[in-house]
Amino acid sequence: MTADHHEHQASELLAYWLDELDEAVAEAVEEHLFRCDACGARLRELIQLGGAVRKALLTGSFGTVVTPSFIRRLQDAGARLRQYHLDPGGSVNCTLAPDDDLVVSHLRVDMSGVRQVDLLIDDENGALLHRARHVAFDPASSEVTVIPPVALVRRMGTSRQRMRLMAVDRSSERLLGEYTFNHSPYDPRG
Amino acid sequence: MDSGLSIETRGFYAPPVQDTPFDIDADLARRISAGDSQAEAPFCGRFAPRIRLFGLKRLRSDAAAADLVQDVLIMALQKLRAGAVREPEHIASFMLGTARQMMLDSMRNSGRRERILSEYPIDLIPAEEPAVEGAPDGRLQHCLQALPERERTVLVMTFYDDCPADALGTQLGVSSGNVRVIRHRGLQHLRDCLENAEAP
Repeated sequence: MTADHHEHQASELLAYWLDELDEAVAEAVEEHLFRCDACGARLRELIQLGGAVRKALLTGSFGTVVTPSFIRRLQDAGARLRQYHLDPGGSVNCTLAPDDDLVVSHLRVDMSGVRQVDLLIDDENGALLHRARHVAFDPASSEVTVIPPVALVRRMGTSRQRMRLMAVDRSSERLLGEYTFNHSPYDPRG
Repeated sequence: MDSGLSIETRGFYAPPVQDTPFDIDADLARRISAGDSQAEAPFCGRFAPRIRLFGLKRLRSDAAAADLVQDVLIMALQKLRAGAVREPEHIASFMLGTARQMMLDSMRNSGRRERILSEYPIDLIPAEEPAVEGAPDGRLQHCLQALPERERTVLVMTFYDDCPADALGTQLGVSSGNVRVIRHRGLQHLRDCLENAEAP
């Protein structure tokens, strides 16, 4: 059995776990799992990997781009979120309280007709720290929703960062908006 | 829900023509039916993880899945001891059918479980299997951060609350098939990274 076959199998097992299969196929997978301990172990690995990803997200171990609806799901589940909404060209004084689970940056932007959006993060001197290519967004929402890595933000001193959104096509790119974050460590006196 | 699966995929999960790889299960079932109590613990040890996975999928609860494991194994041992399982060579199908039935029964009669547990010794049933150790946080963090942005987004939004591809596609303005492709690549990259990354 090839590595690719294993991956294919993992994807189909995940589809089963996520209730994506029609009833007949799901029952066939279920029957297979009652006979094949190797596939059972593979599915358990996937379930555990999912749990680990969930935990890593909620502990702020990494940053990612999501959608506004996902933020609502986090809120519904009880996550404590500190949220900032910025228009293009806007800036905000921001911080992170000890009891905040995550911080969320809502970057409002007009993405009509845009096929690819890249997110660029600059330090306070304007040097590029990171470029995330082809970020996901909900075309109906007119925003790119960013969850920065909270564990990293907690270690930051007073500093300024800039996020830029670029529309990219085959031959060129253009600035959609830039957003400035003036970060200060949390001060309980406000 | 559209599965997007090919005929070949359906064939992949079809029961094998020969039951040779599953002789151990059948052999244990036959021995229990013949009164060999020594076969009961290994029988339970083999089927408990399968029933638990079935329960987790259907019930999405560790505790409820653990209860189902107990219920199904007790019922199966009762039937086997009584010689009421006619085709031990098809014991896996019997166990799955029992699990499906018991889940329906438990919805109809929640008090029955307590009565069975009070009447039947359950020391044969293995304790809940220990969770397989996941990737250390540092390595997972590194590998998640190393993923292409769209793959990370799709994996996070999928795994956070087991979001299926069609719902996720709606949120991202792409097709469910596109989500599956991104998810497949993301899983592949993540697993490759976890296998190859050094522990922090």
